[in-house]
Amino acid sequence: MRQLLRAVIFGILGYLIGATLTWLVRGGSLGDEVCVVFGYVVGLVGWLFGIGMGDTWVREWFGLPARESDVTGWKRYLGFSTDHKVIGVQYLATFIVVLLLGGVAAMIIRFELAQAGEGILNADRYNQVMSMHGILMVAVAVAAILGSFGNYLVPIMIGADDMAFPRLNAVTFWLIPPVAIGLLAAPTLGSFDAGWTAYPPLSVVNNGGQILFVLAVTTFGLSSILGGLNVITTIVTMRAPGMTWGRLPIFVWAAFAASMISLLTTQFFAASLVLIAMDRVAGTVFFDGGAGGDPLLYQHLFWFYSHPAVYVMVLPGFGLVLETITHMSRKPLFAYKAVVVSLLTIAGLSVIVWAHHMFTSGMAEYLHGPFMFATEMISVPTGVIFLSAMATLWRGKLWMKTPLFFAMIWIFQFLMGGVTGIFLADVVTDVSLHDSYFVVAHFHYTIMGGMIFAFLTGIFFWFPKITGRMINDRLGIIFALWLTIGFQLTFLPQFWLGTNGMNRRIADYPDQLEGANLFSSISAFFLGGSFLLLIYILLSAARRGPKAGDNPWNASTLEWQVSSPPPEHNFSGQPTVVGHPYGYGTADSRHAEFAGMTAVGLAEPEQAGTGEGGDNE
Amino acid sequence: MAMTTTPEAVHSRAEATYRPAANRLGLWLFLASETFLFSAFISSRFVVSGTDQPEHLNQGLALLLTLLLLWSSISAFRAEAAMAHDNRRLFHREMLTTIVLGALFLVGVGVEFNEALTDFPANTIYGSSFFMLIGLHAFHVLTGILALGVVWNLGRLGHYGSDNHWPVEGVVKYWHFVDLMWVAIYPTLYLFGGS
Amino acid sequence: MDQDRRNDWIWFGSLWAIFSAIGFYLVLGIDLLPAQWAHEAEIVDDAYILLMGLSIPIFAGVAAALLTSLLRFRVQVDDIPTEDGPPVHNNRNFVRLWVASTLILALMITVNPGFIGIAELRGEPSADIVVEVQAQRWSWKVNYENGAETFNQLYLPADRRVRFDITSLDLVHSFWIPGFRVKIDAVPGRVTYLYVTPEGVGSFEDDFNLRVQCAEICGLGHAQMAMPVTVLSPADFDAWVTDLAEGA
Repeated sequence: MRQLLRAVIFGILGYLIGATLTWLVRGGSLGDEVCVVFGYVVGLVGWLFGIGMGDTWVREWFGLPARESDVTGWKRYLGFSTDHKVIGVQYLATFIVVLLLGGVAAMIIRFELAQAGEGILNADRYNQVMSMHGILMVAVAVAAILGSFGNYLVPIMIGADDMAFPRLNAVTFWLIPPVAIGLLAAPTLGSFDAGWTAYPPLSVVNNGGQILFVLAVTTFGLSSILGGLNVITTIVTMRAPGMTWGRLPIFVWAAFAASMISLLTTQFFAASLVLIAMDRVAGTVFFDGGAGGDPLLYQHLFWFYSHPAVYVMVLPGFGLVLETITHMSRKPLFAYKAVVVSLLTIAGLSVIVWAHHMFTSGMAEYLHGPFMFATEMISVPTGVIFLSAMATLWRGKLWMKTPLFFAMIWIFQFLMGGVTGIFLADVVTDVSLHDSYFVVAHFHYTIMGGMIFAFLTGIFFWFPKITGRMINDRLGIIFALWLTIGFQLTFLPQFWLGTNGMNRRIADYPDQLEGANLFSSISAFFLGGSFLLLIYILLSAARRGPKAGDNPWNASTLEWQVSSPPPEHNFSGQPTVVGHPYGYGTADSRHAEFAGMTAVGLAEPEQAGTGEGGDNE
Repeated sequence: MAMTTTPEAVHSRAEATYRPAANRLGLWLFLASETFLFSAFISSRFVVSGTDQPEHLNQGLALLLTLLLLWSSISAFRAEAAMAHDNRRLFHREMLTTIVLGALFLVGVGVEFNEALTDFPANTIYGSSFFMLIGLHAFHVLTGILALGVVWNLGRLGHYGSDNHWPVEGVVKYWHFVDLMWVAIYPTLYLFGGS
Repeated sequence: MDQDRRNDWIWFGSLWAIFSAIGFYLVLGIDLLPAQWAHEAEIVDDAYILLMGLSIPIFAGVAAALLTSLLRFRVQVDDIPTEDGPPVHNNRNFVRLWVASTLILALMITVNPGFIGIAELRGEPSADIVVEVQAQRWSWKVNYENGAETFNQLYLPADRRVRFDITSLDLVHSFWIPGFRVKIDAVPGRVTYLYVTPEGVGSFEDDFNLRVQCAEICGLGHAQMAMPVTVLSPADFDAWVTDLAEGA
């Protein structure tokens, strides 16, 4: 609490100092964008210093001993904690709140679109709400799974006691609040209204809120890069003895592939936003067509990150879903090696497909074919993921609890997103469908279907581990069905709207499209209502759910072999990994043994190195 | 496996085994990521203005700046080697040399910017790339100087030794990286194309 | 045991057939696409329907597998599960078959409607008439070859190949005619091209998709940045465009 208060004060002071100094040096007014930029940067430094960097790193830089936080109990969650489990929960709570905020924006959007003509919002307000919805949800999609489950599960799953860089991890999380504040403060300068993609020249000439968008999202990118760096280093250097690459739980592989993308390509997004900031405040002309600049430069830089970002969103989702499926159907993960190869192939291919977002941008036509080809190729490794999920279910012993429900619905949702993606990857159909509501429906199926549904799968599956309490399963299944039905009813009509002439990002549309829009809006409110049930389920389970025990699903991976919630350094002894993580159906299979600790539910050790055994028939 | 262990003991033993590898990998990953940032800006320069160059480019100053940075990389290397052999005096001297060379580089950039403001201001397309790339690099040099200063001070206070000088190694690697980026930026702005 | 396994596949096969049939009926039986007003619209719609036709069995297959699993493989668990499924870690031949078939399918659609469709849609780079379009927040200005100029009105001749030379004065806009199924961005500092051959005589009053709609967000007036398209018979068009040029 003390840290948080100090951080807020230092942040505000920093902002004022930065803005005032700039104002003193160059004149003009305090609200000028240059003052905002310097104010934000100094404020960010002040915030980080106040929250805990001042007590730790900065003191060590001057040769003083670090002052570690001695806060215990729930207050740890409000301060600079270096415990990866605390940080995971911080991410989880933060992004559930951001998800709900974005959801409120979505409800406003659908309310406006329920009828043609101007409703509660004028066109300006609509663009602002739509942009806010977009960027909040993209932030959720990029960081929610990797931040929460990546932090919480990866170290335990590989038998480590924390992340490789615990302090950096804390900084990574504490970079997020300034992002939220920056975005939500944008209306004070006139909101940003260029969508989450922020294409220039619009984003160079629009209201001052865009500069806060640029600053906040760049900060978010920094957090994403540092998070990816930490996850990769942790996985490479901190695996427990015996935890070979072939024995990593699949979620760890997924987090590894996603972190790789996020570490490297996020820089391009940062670069594109910095160029916009420069065009706005420093008078450069990168995107000014009249002065020799090129708006397409931004689109290339932007999509070089933002297409791979889709895989930063969904690859960890693949991991969570496949974990849940293999544990809950009590069968080894089908074709483990092929899935790993697929995850890495997707990560590799993701950086050579970006221009499929630009088939109608006026980019050179000889580029269309190669990018279409590369994009279609991604369906092959993605297909292997689907194969693995379905073949693991096939003839398993399906324990139809809420997590497995969500995982199976995920397969359906993401397939829908994937198949409609083919229409957009194909140049011919994309020329018609690009920037229409078909695209809107498509990416809601991929991102909400592929990422949020996986996120919910993860929440329902690991909730007992994180809180030590069980979720009401009946309510969980009702929620799953409610959400899924609402989702189909909301977004299926939008495919039709797209093919029938409704474009994206509009507050008003031709009267002839009113029926389908009204239907979609009513369904959207139905869909939105389901999240109230989710909040109730989570809060009631956290407060008075039945005790979960260490391993309520009787699952095999390491996080289920420790108490719920896990103890401070995760393991009371050093775990040694001796076999495949998903040895279901093999009587003497075991994943790990513990020094100084009797492990739960593990039988005789098997011969080393036969984790990959057991072929079909 | 019969030894009695506490979580803290396991924790510190594990820490000792992975820490050096984790530090090194973390730094290399960070540098890989930074490479992408620089390549984004360098490719932007070629996208918006090909290899066009303005008439007035201060080639002499640019060459001088390049030599300053290359020299500072050598002195940084010597500082690291000195610490690895517990030669505090040499470390002290070479570290200071590096910092001074870095500061001179920044002064040179200031002179360069001043000339550029009249010859090709930021509202020309070459000027945009020029200020962006040089500015980005100068910012990295500045952070490098600050980091060198911190490490130099801690080394002076006796915090490091031959078996315990990761921060020296890390900051010197970062300095080499900044130097390397200049080696990419210099031809991008000054050598390719030309009038 | 063997009978049991066979029944799984019978369930799966039946569900697949049923879902595919329903899917084909829904998608191909009901006309989901708006009226075609250009030659290009036919190419795009053909590609769309081909892709739909290919995706239905895939979709039905996954749905059938999920439903079969849900109906046949679920177990009742009292406290914690004790029974495991068969220890099948892999089936190399099946994975190879799967990868090969998805690869072939992906290559197939890359060729057709992919490359073949692109070639058809682009056609020869020759045009009967050239129309210049200039976008500016939030309106369109149209110039015809003989100097005629319209503002927020687009008139085109039927059955003649038109080339649009499109540019923008301020922001990125996008020139989209839903009835023609074609679109290209209007980018400041560049001229982008679009070829289209209108078919049939009609106007915005006949079909609201005969309009040029800006499809790239451009601020306040983005939704309203549209102009009606009128397709005239070639003779009517020639008369109209001559009148306009002389009147101007």
